[in-house]
Amino acid sequence: MVENRLNIVLNGNIVKGYPGETILELARRHGVEIPTLCHDDRLEPFTACYLCVVEVEGMRGHQPSCSTRLTEGMKIITDNENIRKSRKTALELILSNHYADCIGPCKQTCPAGVDVQGYISLIEKGLYSEAIALIKEVNPLPAICGRVCVRPCEAACRRNLLDEGAPVGIDYLKRFAADQDLASTHPFKPEVKPPTGKKIAVIGAGPGGLSAGYFLAVEGHQADIFEAAPKPGGWLRYGIPEYRLPNDILDREVKNITDLGVQIFYNKRLGEDLSYAELKNRYDAMILTIGSQKGTGVGCEGDDAGNVFSGIDFLKNMEITGQKHDFRGKTVAVVGGGNTAMDCCRTAIRCRADKVYVIYRRTEKEMPANPIEIHESKLEGVEYLFLTLPKKINKNEEGVVQSVTCLRMELGEPDASGRRRPIPVEGSDFDLKVDYILAAIGQKTEAGFLDDINRHAPEGELQLNKWGNIDADPATLQTGISSIFAAGDGVTGPATIIEAIAQAKIAARSAHQFLTGLPVHSVEKPFTSRKDNFTVQNKEDYQGRFESYLRNEMPTLPPSGRINFREVELGYPGAETAAGETRRCLECGCVSFFNCDLQKYSTQYQASQKSFSGEFISRPVDFRHPYIEIDNNKCILCARCVRICHEVAGADALGLVNRGFDTYIAPSMGDSLSETTCESCGLCISTCPTGALTENVVFKPGPVQTEAADTLCNYCSVGCAMTLHHRRQFVIGVTGKKGLINNDGNLCRYGQFGYKYLNDPQRITQPMLRVNGKFEPISFEKAFDLIEQKIRSCAPDENAFFAGARLSNENLYLVHKLARAAVKTNALGSFHYLGRGEGYRQAADFNVPIDQIAQAGKIYLIGAELNRDNPVVGYAVTNARIRKNTPVTLVTTHEKSPMAHKVDEIHKVSSYYHFIKALNYMILSGGLENPLFLRDRTEGLEAYKKQLLSENFDQLVEKAGMKAETIETLAIACNLEMNAIILFSEKELPGNAVIELTNFALLTGKLGKTASGILSLKEKNNAQGLFDMGVNPLTGIGGQSLADPGYLSKCSEVWQTQELTTEPEVCLPERLERGQFRNLFIFGEDPIGCATDPAKYRRILSQASFIVVQDYFQTPTALAADLVLPDSFPAETGGTFTNTRKVIQGFEAVMTSPLEFNSMQQLASLIRRFGFQQSDQPHAILTEFIALLPVKTPHENFSLRTTEETFFSDRFNHGCDAIVKQFDEEVKW
Amino acid sequence: MLTTVTVGLGSCGIAAGARKTYEKIEALKSAEQLQFELRKTSCIGMCYREPLVEIRDDTGTYLYGEVDADRAVEVIEKHINQHSPVRDYIVYSDLFEAPENGFIQDQVKIVLRNCGYIDPESLEEYEGRNGYAAIRKIASEQISREKVIDTVLRSGLRGRGGGGFSTGMKWKFAFGNQSEEKFVICNADEGDPGAFMDRSVLEGDPHSVLEGMIIAAYAIGATHGVIYCRAEYPLAIKRLNIAIRQAFEKGYLGKNIFGITGFNLDIYIKEGAGAFVCGEETALIASVEGERGMPRKRPPFPAVSGLWKRPTNINNVETFANIPWIILNGAEAFARYGTEKSKGTKVFALAGKVRHSGLVEVPMGMTIRDVIFKLGGGIKNDKKFKAVQMGGPSGGCIPAFLSDTIVDYDSVNATGAIMGSGGMVVMDETTCMVDMARFFLDFTRKESCGKCTFCRMGTKRMLEILERITRGEGVSGDIEKLEELAYQIKDNSLCGLGQTAPNPVLTTIRYFRDEYEAHIHHKKCPARVCRPLLTYQVNQEKCTGCMVCLKNCPVQAITGERKQPHLIHQELCTRCGVCFSKCKFDAITIS
Repeated sequence: MVENRLNIVLNGNIVKGYPGETILELARRHGVEIPTLCHDDRLEPFTACYLCVVEVEGMRGHQPSCSTRLTEGMKIITDNENIRKSRKTALELILSNHYADCIGPCKQTCPAGVDVQGYISLIEKGLYSEAIALIKEVNPLPAICGRVCVRPCEAACRRNLLDEGAPVGIDYLKRFAADQDLASTHPFKPEVKPPTGKKIAVIGAGPGGLSAGYFLAVEGHQADIFEAAPKPGGWLRYGIPEYRLPNDILDREVKNITDLGVQIFYNKRLGEDLSYAELKNRYDAMILTIGSQKGTGVGCEGDDAGNVFSGIDFLKNMEITGQKHDFRGKTVAVVGGGNTAMDCCRTAIRCRADKVYVIYRRTEKEMPANPIEIHESKLEGVEYLFLTLPKKINKNEEGVVQSVTCLRMELGEPDASGRRRPIPVEGSDFDLKVDYILAAIGQKTEAGFLDDINRHAPEGELQLNKWGNIDADPATLQTGISSIFAAGDGVTGPATIIEAIAQAKIAARSAHQFLTGLPVHSVEKPFTSRKDNFTVQNKEDYQGRFESYLRNEMPTLPPSGRINFREVELGYPGAETAAGETRRCLECGCVSFFNCDLQKYSTQYQASQKSFSGEFISRPVDFRHPYIEIDNNKCILCARCVRICHEVAGADALGLVNRGFDTYIAPSMGDSLSETTCESCGLCISTCPTGALTENVVFKPGPVQTEAADTLCNYCSVGCAMTLHHRRQFVIGVTGKKGLINNDGNLCRYGQFGYKYLNDPQRITQPMLRVNGKFEPISFEKAFDLIEQKIRSCAPDENAFFAGARLSNENLYLVHKLARAAVKTNALGSFHYLGRGEGYRQAADFNVPIDQIAQAGKIYLIGAELNRDNPVVGYAVTNARIRKNTPVTLVTTHEKSPMAHKVDEIHKVSSYYHFIKALNYMILSGGLENPLFLRDRTEGLEAYKKQLLSENFDQLVEKAGMKAETIETLAIACNLEMNAIILFSEKELPGNAVIELTNFALLTGKLGKTASGILSLKEKNNAQGLFDMGVNPLTGIGGQSLADPGYLSKCSEVWQTQELTTEPEVCLPERLERGQFRNLFIFGEDPIGCATDPAKYRRILSQASFIVVQDYFQTPTALAADLVLPDSFPAETGGTFTNTRKVIQGFEAVMTSPLEFNSMQQLASLIRRFGFQQSDQPHAILTEFIALLPVKTPHENFSLRTTEETFFSDRFNHGCDAIVKQFDEEVKW
Repeated sequence: MLTTVTVGLGSCGIAAGARKTYEKIEALKSAEQLQFELRKTSCIGMCYREPLVEIRDDTGTYLYGEVDADRAVEVIEKHINQHSPVRDYIVYSDLFEAPENGFIQDQVKIVLRNCGYIDPESLEEYEGRNGYAAIRKIASEQISREKVIDTVLRSGLRGRGGGGFSTGMKWKFAFGNQSEEKFVICNADEGDPGAFMDRSVLEGDPHSVLEGMIIAAYAIGATHGVIYCRAEYPLAIKRLNIAIRQAFEKGYLGKNIFGITGFNLDIYIKEGAGAFVCGEETALIASVEGERGMPRKRPPFPAVSGLWKRPTNINNVETFANIPWIILNGAEAFARYGTEKSKGTKVFALAGKVRHSGLVEVPMGMTIRDVIFKLGGGIKNDKKFKAVQMGGPSGGCIPAFLSDTIVDYDSVNATGAIMGSGGMVVMDETTCMVDMARFFLDFTRKESCGKCTFCRMGTKRMLEILERITRGEGVSGDIEKLEELAYQIKDNSLCGLGQTAPNPVLTTIRYFRDEYEAHIHHKKCPARVCRPLLTYQVNQEKCTGCMVCLKNCPVQAITGERKQPHLIHQELCTRCGVCFSKCKFDAITIS
């Protein structure tokens, strides 16, 4: 009502607020963002984090907006300097005790920021191309880097602490994935944005230039690379010898780049073959990736002697000429200790030198070269002269080197680089006889084109810095000329490949900004929490928590076989080795990296982790619960988990322990969560704003970014919406989605954790035929032929069709049509309801909407173990009980009901049927019924009353197992309650009890009002669909009579056939038992696996001569089949499910099907084989069956029906679904 | 009249050995068949003189101090048997000038009107001093609920628990909210270090609290009463239980009490588990409900949604104890005491370096100087008065130069301290203000419930800075960082604990900044308290070479020959202070 609105001034704007609304809610309604960590819409306001503070005029201090309710005329400021300062301080205080890593040291250390843990996780799962896609977001050369990267990540890897210097083989894994990808039929190709029409010239086709070209091409720019050499790769080709990096690999990775449209023009040296004046006119911008090309000499007397080369010239010349040196009988000395020195000495060996020395002035410890290179070179026979300095090169008469005079050194104090300075030892000179000297001391940048550019530059000036490298802004890599960017060694001086790639990414991004008219700026660096900010990590921090594993070293050529240029490292032999190595990863990075609110706000408010350094608390990670991992180090004490476990789940399994700074979250009594009242619903994970509560999986999925696929839960009949998060069909996790039914996005354990079957490699993907007792794959066509032949070879009513309650309406309808229209049998049913009577159907017509539970005055659970079977409905009940004090009464046959601690009173009964009948007796015998309702809305009262009152009440009471007084009290209380909602579960109540419960609702006139009546809960997601789609031997679609002429005419019209059997199949269970069906067709059900008496059903089914089962896996029923068809997951086909309240919800095909024909296509094909038209598209099928649904009359009368005591012995547990069974057994509820 | 001998058996008396005194007198009485009535009472405030024995005979009243069992024999022998009072032990008398006459005479006893006079376990004695007369008056004169509330409102009584909110207003709100069930809660979770006002009232006059609660329940329409008492007060709980039982037996609790139809009230005790924060009313309610004691955001105030979401009125012990007196004597009589905005009296617990530590009840408006020097007898050992901490860990330090500040809510607030519940911790020149601030902050940070970020983490970080400073590791900028954090914590905390936790730090920085600077910049503790900043040296002239310090030094940092002056080796000294305390010749100097 308008007059109830409040006038509020929000940041100077007059807005309307609602009484009872909080400032946070008001702000969000008006699009004003206020950060909060402790608030969750699903929970009562709490106020702990103090991030959401605002200023309210007239109120002292800051007000937490999450719990401050509006008052008339309130003036609110949500953002100013003071508020921001408070929020930042709050974050910094939290961060000062957040002893956790956002990302692992590997990614942190990598110059390009490659998501190492992410791709390792993908490799573990066998998703190689996905791993490469992840790497290529920042590094387009994984196969190259996988071979020759200097691997700062491995140096930083924490596995070093545990396994004494044996890090995870990160580079080996990268190479493995890259090689797999290159060898695959569809190597990863990035998505290229539409052409921008902009052109950019890249100078140099080294790692920097190639990478820049790649990144620019992905953005849709035309990148042309100009290369001075005749071939691409720069240093990769001309510096690194082939035994480390085969040219073939280089060429293939270059081709992947040129395939994106990047062009490379060879033999074009800027300033010589190419003028800037010309480029300037043809291109919108330019990136200089010229490298550091010029080698430096030995730098001592006589270094102009013959046979003294710079190392890089030596390597380059061999590559350009294709001529290998012949050092046979010669002695070669390599001066220097870096990777170039290694390449030179190992190449010299391969050129068959008699002796190769490496002369280095410090010790091995100080050598900048990769240790593995040093190791390999020694294996190959290189000799090291450490602490040795060439002082003079001695020539012979021809001026050719003859020997070198060296000095011994010793190490002094550390110099600026932190390494100890070598000092010559006086009088230690000695001569070393050599034939060649290769100087691998350093390189310099050559920028001869500088004048050419500056002469023609429209503005600005390209300059060199004091080290002779190109001067560029370190953050953007823009040079003095705004359209020219520079990256790589040319900017940094000689550095590593990965640094050049990292720079190329920055320069490409800046160039992209420049080309698209954006201001050129660096990207905001996201906040990262680091354990290193608290303390140095030691072996003890990891010992005990992780086991030691030997590193899977890469196989290499035997040293004796290396006198050639074949690649020394051979690559991991197979997926198993790679997967084994991935498992050495300690998973330092946080799995919640991509959805952590603390990280997001810390970035937004530029918070620092070190502002309030002090004592911090380190607690062990608790992963005792099979699904939920608790990492208190990441906990910010928002208590959302504790509260959701109390307010929504009602489980009260988590609590706060201790006070103040020492407070932490723990399962009650400090036990493992699995030993508490925890129901494994995962709501705690869903509400955690950081990574403190995460899914406990054996190998953390990443952190990797995933794709979201919205779908419906296909466990129980509540009908919750959810989102699958997958990386190329591999589902990594599930989150709740705000759906029609679960409108606050809550899920239970089924939805949250029951997704793993989606990734199961055991899934059947093609038809399997039993041949001589063994299953063999056959084609779909052959399978269909066989089915058609089997059906045609017997009478129609010798075929029986069964469809499971998990199938979509579309699939159910197709089964229906196949049976009734194509095969012309009414032997159509579901094991789910086999032999359970018809009591459930009418009850479903009454169902109270689930969201009205909140408005109930009293809630009765009569055989409804909600937290076991339908937890999301249980949340609604708990919510009403906790927030509104709605009393909840439970009537159960269970000695120990799992609901016991969530209700206000419990009544134990022996028989629901007799208990409910006794209730009805009480009502009728006491004249307590609702006469008006009964008169106007029902029929059959008199007959019912007469029959019931003729029964022996004492016997009813005795069989009910409850005192008569209690029954009376309950009957009266429930009758008098205006808003009583009665919930029951089909799993607990037999069909006749349900009819009596329906009678009770009618007698007490509880129907037709808001928040009053009964709510039936079914076991399976589409159990209601079984009724609606006429998967029933007695009725047609929507429960219509098979003999109803109107219905028949609709069927004839839609199906275009006149031959329909109107006789219901009244003896389906009996005929099945007697073996009167020759062919059995079972879709999505596992009667053998789920029967209370599996042996009996194995025997019954074995009587048939041909059994077809369609399922995802080789279930016990499928194993008993003759032909198994693969089934599709719902998210692969799309369709609709009808929940227990008859709400039809659609879901789309959001996942790719691995099947040649999905389940709908299979059914449609079969129908077509019998001469019917049939679409296999869900929307068309939906339209088709809607035409057959009955037209409902609005005021249909309800019937009171008399019932008889029945005993059914045969039941199928788990909704007769193998998937449910598998998960139920895993959870062991 | 029959001579009465009354022994003070409050916690303070018991701690000083009063039980033995009582037993001795009891034994003497029966052994010698002496003719006097032996009575028990509770604390009369003069805790520093306990055990106290009062003898009242035809001639007058004599209060004996420090009466241990031996002295009791002497006093009984001389006073009772020989009718010759022992002047040396008498601390107060209405007949002549005794050492502590001033302590009693300057006080105005409203809250403590019965404390020390009656046997707290005797309902009759309470009723003998006008007990339950106030509620009877309401019943007999059929004074309406509104009128009762109006009387309390006009009396100007403000909440004595620390908040200082008008009691009458609070009642009015609770009265105004309709509900079938309402609650009245007595907050007896007195948690400030050095404060024991409420304990004394509960131990000494429990019925006055019950009567106050009954009147409040009548006024607001409450049906249930809860006394939330800390479990560390076993004697108070015992006596409350006795009082509640007596009240039920007499029909003062139960149905249709005091003949007022439909006035039903029960009262029970909920023992608190010792969390300071549970003195905060919303945390207290959570604790009564069986939840973790954590505050929640107000509004809604308890008057709207309190215990079990019903309208609830919460007052503290002292507030309730005032109520019967106000009803009996009228709002005007109460308002006669005090200042314009702070009416009546206030009970203070004097502690620290004051001579007379104990309980005093003074009219609002007395200067702090008078409280400390007139009633408190000045500073122990004639040291220099430096400051007084008022309001416990939520309060602040009022320096000596502000000792003319009068005790009323607003004047005390103006100094940066708060009236609080009435704790006064007196400090002299040997108190280091930085260390004092550290002490109080250590208390609040341990007692923080951990809910709000600023209180949980901020107090911890402030404490770490203070610890650093007292260790001599302070750096320039620390004071500013402390202030910055302090204001942030005050602005961004949900309950009073966090909002006031930085007060001790802020007031000491405000008044004693030089001490902070001395610690930080000169690495000196002017009060010679912070051990890491001290240097222990041997005064060569005073040292007799007795070797005692040398032998006692736990780290062998002292060397020397017998009868030769010793030497402390600074590089070895751990500043434990043992040498200083062992030296009999004052030859160890601290600088």
